[in-house]
Amino acid sequence: MDILIIEPDKVLSDIYLKTLKCEGYNARIARSAQSALDAADHIKPDLVILELQLVEHSGIEFLYEFRSYAEWSNVPILIYTSVPPTEFSDSWQILKNEIKISKYLCKTDTDLKRLLGEIKGLIGRPSEKAHR
Amino acid sequence: MGRLRQEKETAILSQQLLVNIAEELKMPLIRIARANELSMINDDTSGQQVIKASTESALKLIDNYILGIRLALEDKTFNIESVSVSSVLYDAAVDLSSLAKLYNVDLELNIAGKFGPVIANRQALHAALVSLGTSLIEAIPAHDKVQTKLQLATHRSRYGVVAGMYAETKQLSSTSLQMGRRLYKSSRQPLVNVSYGSGAGVFVADSILHSIGLKLIASRHHNLYGIGAVLHPLNQMQLV
Repeated sequence: MDILIIEPDKVLSDIYLKTLKCEGYNARIARSAQSALDAADHIKPDLVILELQLVEHSGIEFLYEFRSYAEWSNVPILIYTSVPPTEFSDSWQILKNEIKISKYLCKTDTDLKRLLGEIKGLIGRPSEKAHR
Repeated sequence: MGRLRQEKETAILSQQLLVNIAEELKMPLIRIARANELSMINDDTSGQQVIKASTESALKLIDNYILGIRLALEDKTFNIESVSVSSVLYDAAVDLSSLAKLYNVDLELNIAGKFGPVIANRQALHAALVSLGTSLIEAIPAHDKVQTKLQLATHRSRYGVVAGMYAETKQLSSTSLQMGRRLYKSSRQPLVNVSYGSGAGVFVADSILHSIGLKLIASRHHNLYGIGAVLHPLNQMQLV
């Protein structure tokens, strides 16, 4: 199972990578919206984990671009960000129905254990074969 | 004088700058929390380095902000002195080294040019450079460059001697800096082309320098782009 992590902070992205690999997932890091689109082209992700605050193009811009491709229209997207969800209270329906966000988690109150739980809930556990 | 003092206070005492700092402080705290969890999951000892460097960077941001407040509020005039730019840059590089190592950024010190002493407040100039450097070290790897180098350098410009931080990142431009200054009171990510965070370190540096009568500008050095403090040479000392 391939996960694309879009996280601009090098230290945090390394931590996520190690955590996911430890659980048997294949994970790839992208630090910007453009490199995330390139990476998605290569790995065909089963799940995208996205920080909304990126350099230059924002995570929201990435979402619209990503969803505009038919092949990625149903890939689950988990937002894991330092932006509190209250900032999207006006546009929550758009995020959920139009861009089809699977889950919105805030970094300040979501630890790695819960993040892993949410990932397993969305795409399941990696197979034993992949785990080995 | 009264207006100058008011301007100083407005910059550093702005509530929005405090909000930006609070936002910026979330980052090291989140790193510390996640590194701690990871070390519990798989006995990862690299988490200790994350915790140490992140704690140091958070404390420095707080210290530098407090220094900026003091410079703006204290009634007595700040001490201006003869300062060796090279030694301030060297000390800043030492202070930034553990964070740079954590972010895999190569710090280079380029103090080859012959620059005499400048008029400044050493503590404030050092704090401003460390504050600026911290922000840039965290931001530069997010630009997806193969090489992540940050050069601490001095050079002459039409404004005077500039001491600052330079990288291959084109986005370190006066447009970005000016836009950031305009947006920091209203945006969560005012330096959107440079940093994924609030860029508080850059604005703290800006405020500190402003408090001691200096200016932060974007400038180019060789083929690099950067941000630095414009300093005024101490001409009397150069005659000695």
